Amino acid sequence: MKLAYYPGCVSQSTGKEMDLSTRAVCAALGIELVDLPDWNCCGATHVSNEMVAAGLAARNMAQTDLPIMTPCSICYSNLRSAILRLEEPEFREKLNAVLDRKYSGAVIRHALDVILESLAKKDERIVLPLREMKVASYYGCLLTRPAGQYSPQFPTILEELIRRLEAEPVELRHKTACCGGPIFMPQEKAADDIAFAILSEAKEAGADAIVTVCPLCHLMLDAKQKTLEQKKGLKIGIPVLYVTQLVGIALGLGPEELGLMMNSVSPMGMVERAYERMAEQV
Amino acid sequence: MKAGDMTEEQHFKQEVLRLAGPEVLTCIQCGTCSASCPTAHLMNPSIRKLVKLCLEGGKEEALHNETLWLCTSCLLCTVRCPRGIRPKAVVSALKDIAEREGERGKDASYEEFFLKQIKDYGRINELPLTAEFLLVYPEAAVQSMQMGLELLPRGKMAINVDRIKGQDEVRRIVQELRR
Repeated sequence: MKLAYYPGCVSQSTGKEMDLSTRAVCAALGIELVDLPDWNCCGATHVSNEMVAAGLAARNMAQTDLPIMTPCSICYSNLRSAILRLEEPEFREKLNAVLDRKYSGAVIRHALDVILESLAKKDERIVLPLREMKVASYYGCLLTRPAGQYSPQFPTILEELIRRLEAEPVELRHKTACCGGPIFMPQEKAADDIAFAILSEAKEAGADAIVTVCPLCHLMLDAKQKTLEQKKGLKIGIPVLYVTQLVGIALGLGPEELGLMMNSVSPMGMVERAYERMAEQV
Repeated sequence: MKAGDMTEEQHFKQEVLRLAGPEVLTCIQCGTCSASCPTAHLMNPSIRKLVKLCLEGGKEEALHNETLWLCTSCLLCTVRCPRGIRPKAVVSALKDIAEREGERGKDASYEEFFLKQIKDYGRINELPLTAEFLLVYPEAAVQSMQMGLELLPRGKMAINVDRIKGQDEVRRIVQELRR
């Protein structure tokens, strides 16, 4: 399978491990990725003018004839929303007058969906089944909203993936609740409260790890976890993994390939336990 | 309301409908949007009231409030609205109008700096974005330092500024479509 790969802006900074692990896992599964040429920012959640946001998305989509895959739920949601907007002929015409390469339709896929599709049940490439590991499936907002292919409030694809890795999914009440990320800079307090609610629920549920599909969710739950612990006076200490990191661990890929050293809350203890458990069972 | 204000108020309503969709007119004020909102408890006016203000032409009140900037773009209101309205799109429309009319509070400034990054580089570079934001909102310095201390040692802060080849095209997209 050959796909155009749209890594998004965070792949160069706060989401480096997302980018690394996506590339590593796709290589291991035989999914060929071609970098989307000269891609631009999708506007994230900060371009309020929808025409401009759709325009930025359309420029990306016009760079390739291949289906486009992204590991970032924000990019994914924006590109899919733009496709809907671009169904209006008048707007499409207006936009194409501005674009160098004309937009004529696109297929957008999330890395989660592509990976799940290429992993068979009892796939022999899963060399480290994550047995007895409790993984909280945290979707956040934009994988499933507004125009996703999953239920916008009660999706199950992450649980399906977690089971396929032989881990145990922990369903949070907050699994499709917002992480607060989009407003964390100017509205710190509101964002903190929202993110902490997710973390404390995962803690209460006894999760060994939380899995995310969005770099902003990851930032809020992982990079900010220590600060939130201090502010709220509750130790959380739960590693937060990108879905591609979790799959990569089960495929036996190394910490460097998956950028596991880049996570704020180290997942290494959890990985070691998984290897120990496997050794016991041999 | 003076007769002279009417046209401006009506123009405002039309602009919201153009940006957010004519279905906003079908709002039944049920409040599902407010009930779904993760930051509703901090909002005044509520998102439901905001839609009402737009339809009644309450421009000043609709544009100048904290509610707009508490929206996290989670879209729960949008997938739940029984009338198929996109309340988040109403918020976005109001933010866009406020920004074009010169609103420069900290939140609007953040969006302007974000868009400036896109216009100048085609991509977001978090370091200059944060630096620029701190000039208008120094209160975010502590949080930014904490983030920096987390990200920098892990190599997760880009130092080099990326600039794409199609930067002129991107600038054109912003200029031509943002009206």
